[in-house]
Amino acid sequence: MQSKEIVVTNKLGVHARPAGMIVDITGKSKSDVSLEYEGNKVNAKSILNVMMLAITPGSTVKFTANGEDEEQVLAQLEQLFRDNFHEEQND
Amino acid sequence: MKNKTTKKQKIRTVLVGVAASPGYAYGPVLKTERRKFTLDPSAQPTSTLAAEEKRFRKAVETTAKEIEELKKVAIERLGEDEARIFDSHLMMLKDSMLLDPIVESILKGAHNARWAVHSTLSGLITQMENSKNEVLSERASDLKELYNRLLSALDESVPKRAPKKSNGPSLLVAHELTPGMLMTVDKDNVLGFATDIGGRTSHISILARAMQLPAVSGLRNISNLIEEDDMLFIDGTGGMVILNPNEDDLNRFKEKLSVYNKQKQELFMMRQLEPMTLDGKYITLHANIELPMEADSVLDFGATGIGLYRSEFLFFRKGAPTCEEQTHAYSHILKKLSPHPVVIRTLDAGGDKLVSDISATDEANPFMGWRSIRVCLSRKDLFKEQLRALLLASREGHLRIMFPMISSLNELREAKALYQECRTQLLNEGVELPEVKVGCMIEVPAAVMMVDALAKEADFFSIGTNDLIQFTLAVDRTNELIANLFEPHHPAVLNMIDRTVRAAHREGIPVCVCGEMSSDPLSTLVLVGLGVDELSMTPWSIMECKKIIRSVNYEDVKATARAVLKMDTADSVNRYLRQKYLQMIIDLGISSFITSHDVKNPMDKNA
Repeated sequence: MQSKEIVVTNKLGVHARPAGMIVDITGKSKSDVSLEYEGNKVNAKSILNVMMLAITPGSTVKFTANGEDEEQVLAQLEQLFRDNFHEEQND
Repeated sequence: MKNKTTKKQKIRTVLVGVAASPGYAYGPVLKTERRKFTLDPSAQPTSTLAAEEKRFRKAVETTAKEIEELKKVAIERLGEDEARIFDSHLMMLKDSMLLDPIVESILKGAHNARWAVHSTLSGLITQMENSKNEVLSERASDLKELYNRLLSALDESVPKRAPKKSNGPSLLVAHELTPGMLMTVDKDNVLGFATDIGGRTSHISILARAMQLPAVSGLRNISNLIEEDDMLFIDGTGGMVILNPNEDDLNRFKEKLSVYNKQKQELFMMRQLEPMTLDGKYITLHANIELPMEADSVLDFGATGIGLYRSEFLFFRKGAPTCEEQTHAYSHILKKLSPHPVVIRTLDAGGDKLVSDISATDEANPFMGWRSIRVCLSRKDLFKEQLRALLLASREGHLRIMFPMISSLNELREAKALYQECRTQLLNEGVELPEVKVGCMIEVPAAVMMVDALAKEADFFSIGTNDLIQFTLAVDRTNELIANLFEPHHPAVLNMIDRTVRAAHREGIPVCVCGEMSSDPLSTLVLVGLGVDELSMTPWSIMECKKIIRSVNYEDVKATARAVLKMDTADSVNRYLRQKYLQMIIDLGISSFITSHDVKNPMDKNA
């Protein structure tokens, strides 16, 4: 089991589209993945669970993965957050 | 009482927002959201529950199909990136957090399917709306869209009521134009748009301009303020709306509208007219576009081709698009424009945006960093995929391929060699291909210094003035402290352009200018005078540009260009140009002049 804390740096936080991108990664993973934010821990394979956390920009979230590709899935998630979900950040 | 006005008095309200698309409109309001469904919370007989569950499952299937359809339209109209939101909608639809409680509510709670959907989703929506994160509470709209779709799908057994047709053309008011709404807009029944959020660069703006309809966005809470039978006046030129306008407002509106329509009509009449100077010099006017769907209307604006299609729009998403996806998008544009030419610029973006499988390091100087052709030449797999897609699409129309940010002859040669490789490969596969011109952008000072050599090996040049100015003057124009140093008429810039044009014409190849400079009235005249063959700009600038070109003599602007090339400072260039052409431009009623020039050089006025 591995965990990773990630800072949310995109401008709008985790709304529907970023949540979809997260689940796109976790859904394909063979590991169990959970997402923890402000004391709430949810299944990161459910888009609604992820959305409902109402994660705000600038906050820190914690992913925990348990399974054969746990390292890989965490790395992919980290990259996704670092890319700000491919949103335009200017404007 | 004689007076039998039973209608309650409507309150006049003025709201100020962002001018998203020019024009004026007045008419009844059409609110987009909200649709009432009849709901029955009563307990159902146990015998019917299995059937209810089945009905629900079927509604989920129907909804999924609908969303898939919308996604297809969205990809075509707006591109892959925007269409991603529909993937999220599909995921929500399959989410057990949504499905399980609904099924449980049917089977254990003995509710009918519609009540189960309503009660479950309403709960989630409320939870979302109460979120302390303002952005997310707004985003409950995604769930609401799903809610509406599911309940509509469950309506099937009930005799289907025709969707309430609007009473003729009306003004579309919404919190935000969602991708789903944009895809279902009935073009003939919409007079204009007004939304709570969105800026000048948002989709509502791009779409409204492409549809040539007025739009005001950023109105904060108009969607809450209005009611279905309100009347609305939209001033998309000034960025303002009046809710339930009074007589004075309407008179003023009629006045403004007639002036605007006259101007617009006049401009549209010019669509037929050639962009030719008084003494017969023809200047090709092309359009810059970003979204594939913009290709649909550029010919209406009087463009005779596309001078710059920014292909990176397809790439701003997770993972690169496949060759097939790219071919599809390029073909769409080429077919729309055929037989007119379409210049497609190969990928021109920072590496971090394109390649997600390598960790993007924070670059200290991204404008001069790993971007554009540099990314393509180090990630040949991506580049070749794009070239192959371009070649496959070239069979559908008149394609020209353009490489961005070329700074040396080696780069041009390497890019061309890869292009040849892809071409040979396709020919070997038995694919027949038309001739395709391959050119490059001139936007780095090094390319200008080496322009003679480049001209011998490129089929055309396109000057990207935004980058050329930025690199020549060493001015990052996103930096507010030095933004006033970003000066298109700096003699250094004008001489760079002059040098490029002369080298190109010696080799018999055409030069296009595709930066913002091409649509500035005074710059247009200088560029034409310098001998630039083509100008490419946002579609809605084309007709004004045509008007200017048709008002001058080529010999005269040539003399102007020769004169300004000898000047020492941007100030003297600007003073000279203003003295010579300002009155003419004002007399022509060119509106963009006021915004593009006076605002940019406020200090210049006293000069």
